[in-house]
Amino acid sequence: MPSARRVELESLLRARQLDRTLTSAIPWSTSRDVAATGIASLDRALGGGVARGHLSEVVGPRSSGRTTVLCRMLAAAVNRGEAVALIDTCDRFDPLSAEGAALDLSKLLWVRDVGNALRALKAMNLVLQAGGFGLVAFDVADVHAAALRQFPFTTWMRMARVIEGSQTVAIVVASERLARSPGGVTIALEPPPDASTAQWCGVSDRARFLRAIDLRPRVVGGR
Amino acid sequence: MENPVEPGRTLQNLVEPCSLPLYACLRVAGSRIPDPGSRFDHHIFIARDFSPRIECHGASTVVLDVSGLGRLLGDASAIGAELRRAADGSSADLQIAVARSQAAARLLAIARRGLTVAAGDAAAAVAPLPLDTLRVCMEDDVVGGGRAAARLQTTGVHLETFRRWGLTMVGEIAALPTIELSERMGQQGLALQQLARGVDLTPLVPDPGVPRFVQSMELEWPIDALEPLSFVLARLLDPLSSALERADRGAAALRLDLRLVDRTLHTRVLQLPAAMRDPKVLRTLLLLDLESHPPSHAIDVVTIEIDPVPGRIVQYSLLERALPSPETLATLMARLRALVGEDRCGSPIILDTWRPDRFEMKNFEPSLQSPVSSSQPDVASVSGEVCRAVAASAAKADGTPGTLILRRFRPPVAIRVTVDRGRPLHVAIDRRGMPGGRVERAAGPWRTSGAWWNGSDSAWDRDEWDAALSDGSICRLFHDRLADRWFLDGILD
Repeated sequence: MPSARRVELESLLRARQLDRTLTSAIPWSTSRDVAATGIASLDRALGGGVARGHLSEVVGPRSSGRTTVLCRMLAAAVNRGEAVALIDTCDRFDPLSAEGAALDLSKLLWVRDVGNALRALKAMNLVLQAGGFGLVAFDVADVHAAALRQFPFTTWMRMARVIEGSQTVAIVVASERLARSPGGVTIALEPPPDASTAQWCGVSDRARFLRAIDLRPRVVGGR
Repeated sequence: MENPVEPGRTLQNLVEPCSLPLYACLRVAGSRIPDPGSRFDHHIFIARDFSPRIECHGASTVVLDVSGLGRLLGDASAIGAELRRAADGSSADLQIAVARSQAAARLLAIARRGLTVAAGDAAAAVAPLPLDTLRVCMEDDVVGGGRAAARLQTTGVHLETFRRWGLTMVGEIAALPTIELSERMGQQGLALQQLARGVDLTPLVPDPGVPRFVQSMELEWPIDALEPLSFVLARLLDPLSSALERADRGAAALRLDLRLVDRTLHTRVLQLPAAMRDPKVLRTLLLLDLESHPPSHAIDVVTIEIDPVPGRIVQYSLLERALPSPETLATLMARLRALVGEDRCGSPIILDTWRPDRFEMKNFEPSLQSPVSSSQPDVASVSGEVCRAVAASAAKADGTPGTLILRRFRPPVAIRVTVDRGRPLHVAIDRRGMPGGRVERAAGPWRTSGAWWNGSDSAWDRDEWDAALSDGSICRLFHDRLADRWFLDGILD
């Protein structure tokens, strides 16, 4: 009888499209469609890339490489021929350095200087509901925690529901963990321990320049 | 049985009236400037009633192919009479000519008032016309400037030469020896002679016609809100969309004219990114635009006009990722503009200048081009979970410092920097949540300056530093040499 009740309960959940919470319905357990991030080691750690149709997040403190990872993901999506979008809540995106990371800016929809986080959230929902984008990023890394707490509790679940089953990858870029859907991943970037994590070139002070920064990503996967 | 064929007539004589082309020309004397909705438009409608093959020359002349009308209306005289009857009362200065060639019909319509019918030899029909007729005929084709205007000027020179030779009639030009004329005047002289002989220089190119897609509604009660207006827009757009579909056309631009209760006109023109005719999409776009640009008073009359373009044919690929459709994108962009502002959404394009943060926004129009193959910068191999994100190139050819990804502050944040022998030692920022601390390592200065030739407002002169601070953040600072102040340009992330 318990198994019959379980089957009945699962069928009810499926009828209401709430079956994502079931362990028997993990969508990517057999085969899942993923989007490569463009960083080989990260793709290996992710098992090929970030799952499509799911909400994932890239989190980390300042100078940990969040934006670098994001730009590489955007560039990889554009190189696959996909359109990408970036909801830039605090107007932090720098097109010049992004172009240096091989991002074709003509396929990037940049919604910038939105003003406040709630309006940015609306813009994010509009872009996700329009569909057809390969990757949609929501940059709230510099938004105060108090503003993020104003988001309704259902925000992230609704966002995950909008893209569920689609080919879109939704990425939240934040300084702390916010949300991800069951099939999504958290790419947590470790803070740089000291200035030695940056790659400096040149021997003298006048000839020195900053060449690169090290990324220390840690992947926290779904189930 | 009685033989209907008269003795002495050949087969060619019998077939000729039916097989030879016949053209009619309607010309409004003195009309040169295109004027939509003028009496000339009315004559185009008359011409379309007689033949689908019509061609307009300038803003005064329309030539129609009436070759097949013999069986229906009779001979050339009957066709001409029927044309005059159809145009009766429309214009006093309408000149009609029917001839065997377009050129002859046009020349006769220019030179003769009323109805002229020349069913016989075209050259003979135009021979007695004055020389100036040729000039007017060439002028009719020139509406704007450019190459046609230059050709007309040359024609005027040639006609003046003919006058100096003592020629006054069109037939005299037709009778000139061709080779000698070509030697003296070249191809243009020959073209003038062909015209003088009533020979068509080009075949008739039928004008496809541009039907107007306009719907209007006068409201019984003024509307002052968008919600009731949406129903009116739907009622107007549905038949317009059907008409577009029937004509295999899409809308390239939407013009909405709202006549308000204070007798003013509120006009909005939407340029659409692609040809579309879905009435729901068009209505949404209009409503979103009106949300941003509402009329000042209640609305009395609503008029929608659509600029049609050929319908869009899209071949989708099974192998490429589908991009958002133009309709979806247009709606999305309209919603985003209404939400965040006109210039805050789109695609950035880098400007060709050395100014920092050099970009401007353009419309987001992802093209269906093939993906770029592995144009990404190299990524150093990594071990374990540590990878190194090397930006495109540390030393780009243009000499800019390393192109790491920057999180830029707009505008730059003013900071306090302790300096020792020109090098930053300590950074302090009076804002919560901002980086700061002792400078562990720094690279610079990278000096840029420019626009000093434009005046002090747009000039910049700065020394940039990449600095690793003790709190772990790596920043880009700059010293504004004009204002002698330090700013935080962004954080390398």
